[in-house]
Amino acid sequence: MEKLLEMAKKVCDKAEVYSIDYIYNPVTFEDAKLHDIESKFQSGISLRIIKNGKLGFAYTKNLINREEILQNALDSIKGEVEASYDFPLTKELPKLDTYNPSVENLSTTKMVEECARVCDILRSKTDGEISITSSTYIEDIHIINSKGTDVSQKGTFYGIYGGVIYPGSASAIWRIFISKKFEKLPDDIVNEIIELYTLSSNVVETKGGKMKVMFMPNSMHTLNGRIFSGTSSKSIYEKISPVADKIGEKIFNEKITIYDDSLNDKYPGARAFDDEGVRCKPLTIIENGILKSFYYDLNYATKLNAESTGHGYKVLQWGGEQITLKPIPALAHMTIKPGKKSFSELVKSIDRGIIIEGALGAHSGNIPNGDYSVGVNPGLYVENGEIIGRVKDAMIAGNIYETLKYVIDIGDTLHPSFIGLGDYNAWVPAILFDNLSVVTKY
Amino acid sequence: MFDKMRTILSKVDADYSDIRYEIKKDTVISFNGKELTKIGSNSTDGYVLRVLKNGGLSSVAFTKESDSEKAINTAIENAQLITKNREKPIKLAKTEVVKDIFIPELKEDPRKISTAEKLELVRDYNNIPLGYKKIATTIINYEDVIREKYFINTEGTEIREDLVTTLLFGEIISKEGNLTQNVRVSAGGSNGFSNIRNQESNFEERTAITLNLLKAKPVKGGVYNCILNPHLAGVFTHEAFGHFSEADIIETLPAMREKMKIGNKLGNEILNIVDNALIPNQLGFYKYDDEGVEVRPVQLMKNGVLTGRLHSKRTAAEFGEQISGHCVAEDFRYPPIIRMGTIFIEPDKSSFEELLNMLGDGLYILDAKGGQTAGENFTFGAQYGYVIRNGKVGEMIRDINISGNLYQTLKNIVAVGNDLVLSKRGGCGKGQMNIRSCNGSPHILVNNIVIGGV
Repeated sequence: MEKLLEMAKKVCDKAEVYSIDYIYNPVTFEDAKLHDIESKFQSGISLRIIKNGKLGFAYTKNLINREEILQNALDSIKGEVEASYDFPLTKELPKLDTYNPSVENLSTTKMVEECARVCDILRSKTDGEISITSSTYIEDIHIINSKGTDVSQKGTFYGIYGGVIYPGSASAIWRIFISKKFEKLPDDIVNEIIELYTLSSNVVETKGGKMKVMFMPNSMHTLNGRIFSGTSSKSIYEKISPVADKIGEKIFNEKITIYDDSLNDKYPGARAFDDEGVRCKPLTIIENGILKSFYYDLNYATKLNAESTGHGYKVLQWGGEQITLKPIPALAHMTIKPGKKSFSELVKSIDRGIIIEGALGAHSGNIPNGDYSVGVNPGLYVENGEIIGRVKDAMIAGNIYETLKYVIDIGDTLHPSFIGLGDYNAWVPAILFDNLSVVTKY
Repeated sequence: MFDKMRTILSKVDADYSDIRYEIKKDTVISFNGKELTKIGSNSTDGYVLRVLKNGGLSSVAFTKESDSEKAINTAIENAQLITKNREKPIKLAKTEVVKDIFIPELKEDPRKISTAEKLELVRDYNNIPLGYKKIATTIINYEDVIREKYFINTEGTEIREDLVTTLLFGEIISKEGNLTQNVRVSAGGSNGFSNIRNQESNFEERTAITLNLLKAKPVKGGVYNCILNPHLAGVFTHEAFGHFSEADIIETLPAMREKMKIGNKLGNEILNIVDNALIPNQLGFYKYDDEGVEVRPVQLMKNGVLTGRLHSKRTAAEFGEQISGHCVAEDFRYPPIIRMGTIFIEPDKSSFEELLNMLGDGLYILDAKGGQTAGENFTFGAQYGYVIRNGKVGEMIRDINISGNLYQTLKNIVAVGNDLVLSKRGGCGKGQMNIRSCNGSPHILVNNIVIGGV
């Protein structure tokens, strides 16, 4: 890749080479039986060049032909995509603990044993259908640019994902557990799956209307994705964010604090630099309900006359391959500050309401506007502080800029949650809201 | 290339193995409002190896030829691990040995059109909505994706096939005060660049809808009888029914497998559903799947009764049913999984006017936006709709999301129109992306749909 950078520097003003190698090994158990083992070892390179303020971009998998990728990048300059930014000079990054050899050395046999262990417990304690996937992911990212930046980082991810399916429905109580090292799925998570599955085995028919609704980490991507959209510098630039002029104003309930901390290496995926080689630092987005900051990559920072906050990532909804993507602003390490209530305390404070264990259709609807309308999959029905069953065919609809004003309480534990972007995860607690609109068939 | 692949396979000590090598070429052009954000062509490649040994099946996707030995060892180890940990061995259905080169005929090969010409055309389309004051922005993408595929297996099959897909898709976004509305626009297909031409009226129509939505009222949440237009009904067919016709989805769900037994009556007499990837010139068209099996049409439902399903070699053996040729990968990064080709509800007799009269009071909802299914539950959005009173089309409505249960909804389809339309753009994300996923339907009348308005 150094050679490619040298070649690129000869024909244009600025250049950057990004390379990634990754190994991904998933083991899948379906219906409590080993179903599949796959393996991927993939490599790739992308090249960004800037000449006379115009951007060229190209990528390839096998770097067989350096002339070809450079030519592709030069050809794409003719499209005249504006690029008035420069690549950063990044030196002396904080040392993060992102790599653990227990993941790279984990044998597939060990993963099979761990899945089988969890399957056995779930099968002995429930009458549902058990599905478990365990996987390891090891990535090695290296970025060099014409400013002299040369940064690299190796990271390990171990994850286990699964749960119990209500027979005949393919709807499930499931949990995801991720770590930068191999560890057994903690008992409290297994027990929570069993308890919630058992409590919600019966289908209840209930009338809709306004009621209390608790978004679990498993369904919080409904809200995450809209916060992501509303506070992105890309949305500000495109003038589609409803909070573009609200910095310093209270937009959510004061219990809500949202920050992004890519340096926190307690969790897997911590990063000292983003996918553009910009140094990462913690950033507060919302503090006690007040909008503090938007987040930027190099491109949108320059367009908006701001500084990159180190949030340029090669991501896409549906998880396209990194090398094929140009960086966009992304909250790749979003965290919602936990509250003080345990899950059972939160449930006890619900006179009548629904706990959304999974949301269907979170990625559709008018996302920039903050509107959402999701099907519950499943929705646990609560009366007088007790879960008495699950509801089917119910929809919860609202707008996050309204919903996040009606926070009753926030759970005390952070769980991984999706934000709608490939592998990147948010860490969020369960949040109980008041007065949300629920539609049911009854 | 075949020689190189044969050499790799010759080193595999197993009962069966296959290898696929692909070169994927794509050209992308993206506009965000006036601004061009992406342009360029790229070429990527890679291998997928699958190995069946002693009843264990495993796959490895790798980039570098120099990794082929590591890939072989990993695949064999994993296959044997599966054998050790399963009571029931995995079998692959026997198929015919095929030796074929299939290069589709194109109406204008996108590889022969300059990027400059493509850019000019896309820019002209993008300028149509941007010419209106209340259009805040647009997201318009052009893509052509060419998969040059090489497949061989140890049974002697040897296939070289090209899949050429052209796509034009995006969103038009209108804004007035605090209200923004968006409507999607799409075109494309499997038979060349000509699918991308002459889309001016398409862009004009979609722009008009986006502007009209600014004056539409939000739908009131509730339960309604609805007419679904062909696009929305096609997405329903794909999302809610189609996925359960994919044998790999229900294979390991015993209760669901029971519900989806061939011969079970799930819908009304009027309901007939087919998957036919062989209809020429449609987005979903292909000849061989990524297991080297020739695709064939499958009648999935006849008069409301389940009559067939979509298979891979693995599931055809597991279910003891006919192989269908529906095991397809996104590209060289993935082993193939079962995918729909061109799935649609077959047309019946009713005209749109007759459906309106049958409906009386209810909603007419059009064009899907986003859809998701988990088990029997599905949710998806409609881009816009109209209130229907006494069989007459009334005022426009917006912010429509529907949710339901597959089995109830199939029974609630009470009438099917005579006006079949197949989709021009796919995009099914079942673990991998399938840009060729094609669906369709005539207008259909469905009772008791849950609408979750804001």
